[in-house]
Amino acid sequence: VLPVESGSRTLKDAINEALRDWVTNVRTTHYLLGSVLGPHPYPTMVRDFQSVIGEEARAQFLGREGALPDLLVACVGGGSNAIGLFHPFLEDPVEMVGVEAGGRSAAPGDHAARFLGAGGAAGILHGTHTYVLQDDAGNVLPTHSIAAGLDYPAVGPEHAFLRDQRRVRYASVTDDEALEAFHVLAETEGIIPALESAHAVAWLLREAESWRGRRVIVNLSGRGDKDLGAVKTERRNAQDNDPAGERDGDRS
Amino acid sequence: MSRIGDRFARARNEGRKAFVAFVTAGDPSLERTVEAAREMAEGGVDVLELGVPFSDPMADGPVIQRASERALRRGTTLAGVLAAARSIRAGTALPILLFTYFNPVLRYGPARLAREAVDSGVDGVLVTDLPPEEAGGWIGLARETGLDTVFLAAPTSSDARLGLVAGASRGFVYAVSRTGVTGETHILSDDARPLVRRLKSLTDAPVALGFGISTPEQVRAAAEVADGVVVGSALVRFLEETPEGDLAGRVRWLKSAM
Repeated sequence: VLPVESGSRTLKDAINEALRDWVTNVRTTHYLLGSVLGPHPYPTMVRDFQSVIGEEARAQFLGREGALPDLLVACVGGGSNAIGLFHPFLEDPVEMVGVEAGGRSAAPGDHAARFLGAGGAAGILHGTHTYVLQDDAGNVLPTHSIAAGLDYPAVGPEHAFLRDQRRVRYASVTDDEALEAFHVLAETEGIIPALESAHAVAWLLREAESWRGRRVIVNLSGRGDKDLGAVKTERRNAQDNDPAGERDGDRS
Repeated sequence: MSRIGDRFARARNEGRKAFVAFVTAGDPSLERTVEAAREMAEGGVDVLELGVPFSDPMADGPVIQRASERALRRGTTLAGVLAAARSIRAGTALPILLFTYFNPVLRYGPARLAREAVDSGVDGVLVTDLPPEEAGGWIGLARETGLDTVFLAAPTSSDARLGLVAGASRGFVYAVSRTGVTGETHILSDDARPLVRRLKSLTDAPVALGFGISTPEQVRAAAEVADGVVVGSALVRFLEETPEGDLAGRVRWLKSAM
């Protein structure tokens, strides 16, 4: 594993470097990106593989509950876990919400929410025609999210389609909301979600009142063991900025 | 025939190879880019490739990446590059080829770009990350306005695909001398000669060889096989190290062994 030193040093720059390495060594290597991104047919292939999530969830839910869920919630970076959950339910009367990274704020460069406000516009990045966070000149904007897996300026093209069709609703939650959800799930259920998945949990916590008594699937697409260091750092920073511990006091 | 095609034809009639030079527009400033064009014409450049800086230059090595970052920090946009092309055209007949990535074009509007590029004195456009398979709409716009379209031919492409690349290209076909991104190397890749030979068997259009050509010896070796030689990173690095350096002299030096 090599750290990326070029450009804005985020995921998109790592992808640029991977592409540069691939074209240099194309006779002996193949390039694969772990999401529903890149040129056709890769987004379709990855979606089909990830659909195991939705196929199994649908069968198990019908078996256990005797009915379909009312709502599916999943985080969306490139959006592979989300499309994998959503896809087998697309013909069903099931609502779906994809949750993007709202980051620190809605200002350009502070988030990775392609569907938020005027942020993303149609563009092409890394071979995908989709919504891309970019400036007026077509340069790709830097992004930020506490969850590395959501920190990308473009989104899987099928999500762009489902959004334009209004079949799936997209929302965003902030870094702080995701961190809060990370703790809530760990403390109440003993499950440590990945910070990516914590975005889906955070959206449901925010909207819980409207879904009380309904059947909901939240996709916990990754485990949070990998994020304990990042969460600890965030907590320390929060305490340094807020020594009285009021903001986070019940957990110190 | 376009200004670019004319220049290749003239070089051939004079019994020499064309010298194509790339600079990143806006590095260190668009004013300097306009001057640089004049100096390079004076030094004997046949075609100027004007690089439009982009945030994610995937086909470029570190030298041009850094130049793009500097140009973007100065606020260089496609509109600014067209204005610079207009200034260059006012002072010289040097053929101008825009070298750009597709997203800035998409954002600007391909039809608008085709129209305004011609209006600014640009003769052709090379969209690095637009493969000919996906370029139908763009090629149509370029043909309507009379802009040349140049596509990149890679050493790993099949003859069928090289035929497609050559068929979509106007002005010249750009042969990529090796697998990889732009940047300087020491010797001409073994891939270069067979690629140019295959292209020449498929098209009557001039073939220019680029990527990794940075010394007079490499320029000579490339000129032995192709109709033209493209030098990019070596000139961009020269401007990085000596922004006000003598580009005419640098071009003469690069051409000295041709």
